[in-house]
Amino acid sequence: MSGTLGTRLFLAGITLVLAVLLLPKAINDPGFFLQIVIYGTADGAIFALIALGYTMVYGIIELINFAHGDIFTLGYFIAIPLIGAFGLSEGSPVSIGMIVVLLVVTAIVMVIDGGINVVIERVAYRPLRSAPRLAILITAVGVSFILEGIMYVWQGANNVHFPDLLPDTRFPLFGASLAVKDIIVIVSALVLVVLLNVFINGTKLGKAMRATAQDREAAQLMGININRTIAATFFIGAALAAAGGIIFGLYFNNIRFDEGFIAGLFAFTAAVFGGIGNIQGAALGGLFIGLVQAFSNSYYQAALTDVWIFAILILVLVFRPAGLLGMQVPEK
Amino acid sequence: MRLPKLLAGLALASLGLAACGTSTGGTSNKGDIKIGVELPESGGETSNGIPTLNGVKFAVDQTKTVEGYTLKVSNFDDAVNGVHDPQKGAQNVQQLVDDSKVLGMIGPFNSSVARAEIPISNRAHLVQISPANTNQCLTKDIYIPQSLSGVPDVDCKAAGVPFPKDLRPTGTNNYFRVATTDDFQGPAMSDYAYKTLNLKKVGVASDAEAYGKGIADTFTIRFQKDGGTVVKRQDFPNASKVSDFKPFLRAAQKAGAEAIYFGGTDSNNACVVRNQMKAAGFADSAPFFGGDGIVTDKCKSDAAAAAVGMAGTVATVAAEKVSGSQATIDAFKKAYPNSSDYGAYTMPAYDATKILIAAIGRAIKANNGSMPKRQQVLDQMYKTDYTGVLGHTSFDDKGDTTNKVITIYGIKDASKGWDVISAVDLSKGL
Repeated sequence: MSGTLGTRLFLAGITLVLAVLLLPKAINDPGFFLQIVIYGTADGAIFALIALGYTMVYGIIELINFAHGDIFTLGYFIAIPLIGAFGLSEGSPVSIGMIVVLLVVTAIVMVIDGGINVVIERVAYRPLRSAPRLAILITAVGVSFILEGIMYVWQGANNVHFPDLLPDTRFPLFGASLAVKDIIVIVSALVLVVLLNVFINGTKLGKAMRATAQDREAAQLMGININRTIAATFFIGAALAAAGGIIFGLYFNNIRFDEGFIAGLFAFTAAVFGGIGNIQGAALGGLFIGLVQAFSNSYYQAALTDVWIFAILILVLVFRPAGLLGMQVPEK
Repeated sequence: MRLPKLLAGLALASLGLAACGTSTGGTSNKGDIKIGVELPESGGETSNGIPTLNGVKFAVDQTKTVEGYTLKVSNFDDAVNGVHDPQKGAQNVQQLVDDSKVLGMIGPFNSSVARAEIPISNRAHLVQISPANTNQCLTKDIYIPQSLSGVPDVDCKAAGVPFPKDLRPTGTNNYFRVATTDDFQGPAMSDYAYKTLNLKKVGVASDAEAYGKGIADTFTIRFQKDGGTVVKRQDFPNASKVSDFKPFLRAAQKAGAEAIYFGGTDSNNACVVRNQMKAAGFADSAPFFGGDGIVTDKCKSDAAAAAVGMAGTVATVAAEKVSGSQATIDAFKKAYPNSSDYGAYTMPAYDATKILIAAIGRAIKANNGSMPKRQQVLDQMYKTDYTGVLGHTSFDDKGDTTNKVITIYGIKDASKGWDVISAVDLSKGL
């Protein structure tokens, strides 16, 4: 982490304040503290998966894709009939076969959701790519409303139940309890982030994405197919959100047609917090928001949870406008 | 002289008896008096309105005549496209008002519809008795009083609804109800938790809305007065968008909570909270409490595998829990044999109708046997002193019943829905 002396002092200050607030509680009851960290990490892992898509899209075309949170919800909804089609239902015994089916379903949903996002990009965003920023931003808000409307008609106004397939097993861990579900959420998010990193840094398409993000015109001059690269970015972002939707379903079992929008706003906040356009930053930001929520809802006032998150965000941006790990966006 | 007078008296008495016995006969008929009914009766509301309407019909069929007048039911449906509609309700009441044979009406079902109807019935001085309305602001200025919540009064305007006086253009009251008001839900659940279930420590949260926070506050202060401890208290703004309640639940569980009370509605994730209790370390048997906002099918499906052990309050009397009422319920079920004929508001509608008929009867007598004015029926309503299937009912000057009973519904069997499990009587004051 680089930066001026002032920035470092500021970050040290934030760390110190958090330590003063949380350390006595951690020492007082380490088991409970660890439990809250586990909850916060699992929640943060899901925020991180949504934040990745936000940050990738912003990194490459500087669009705050407000519809991204709804793409997440859509993944959740699409998965339910698919899981049923494969013969899985609540109470099915946990087996290798079930895990394979879940992986297959996740892959299918990732492709469908990714495809939908590519179509949205083609229809609603690409024609406006050289239009003023505001036009495409409003289009994204519009796409969000359209998706929510469709999901409302399809799934209704109520919470939609996701089949509770994972075992409810818990292991004691230093006075806390670690559920199999917690492990699955955290590990699968971690795996997806690592895979994405490998992809971005190790493949030709990943390199094309980075080049396009840095300077679209120069990349085009070097023979990179810009349209294809941007479409691929939308595809991957949506696929990660879809995976997030399924993981959310397996973990929480309940979502409403409009719940993804707010989750998306928090994920966007996470992306800005970590440094927009920056993959590791988005993951870190997601984790941070998950933890702050969990600490606030358990130790402090739930009514002030959002106040904490945004107060910290504002402070970070005032002293470090590029976010914690720095932005990676097109050069002007 | 004495004997003929006695004979004449006997003759009169036997005439009276004959009138009672052959009330279908037209000999003593002085004309019709109509009991207006205004309920949501079609589409998705069928299960609300029809069983309630049946209660009115059953009461009228049993009574048949009052002081020589034949009773008829004049019935209107306020559902539009299957959903109750205040505008439609107001039109219906206008039609009832325009019919001079209507001396009183039963309805409506929903408090929002009542808000549109009361101004119309009020101008006509028409008695309106609701079997089901529980929103306190139909009769009281204060939504949640400080005496119940421990925090400053929340008045009706602050809760987003008009004051009672805004609904009554004549300045006098014509609206009555046999259900008590929602502000007693929290205290009633507290008494049930502390006194009946013997719980000492509870965690309390709400969805931070006027309804949810109100009942959570009233539960909290009553539970402390009862002698229990609220070990953790949280409010969740945007609760419908909160997916993880485990940090709060775990904190409550760690602090010794034996149960959770959530003030809020199913659409604000109330029963998702229930669903997550087990993952936060609560035993399967730990109860989950709330208000009428959780006594819904949707709540049961949100709670999923954790549905059993939930309990919610409803501010109406369940006749099943009133001693001596079973005979009437059985008689009703004999006359209306389908299971869908009977609902939670059938017996309240039955008592409301009987109370209205009794008031009409007194008004006719006071008017020397001729057709009374609506105002005369209204005057008689305040003299109500009636014991029926809901227990003993009389009305205070605002039109509220003095029979302040809150019914506790719960899920005991995962394969079934919400059942009456208990009742708390707060008539003797809090």
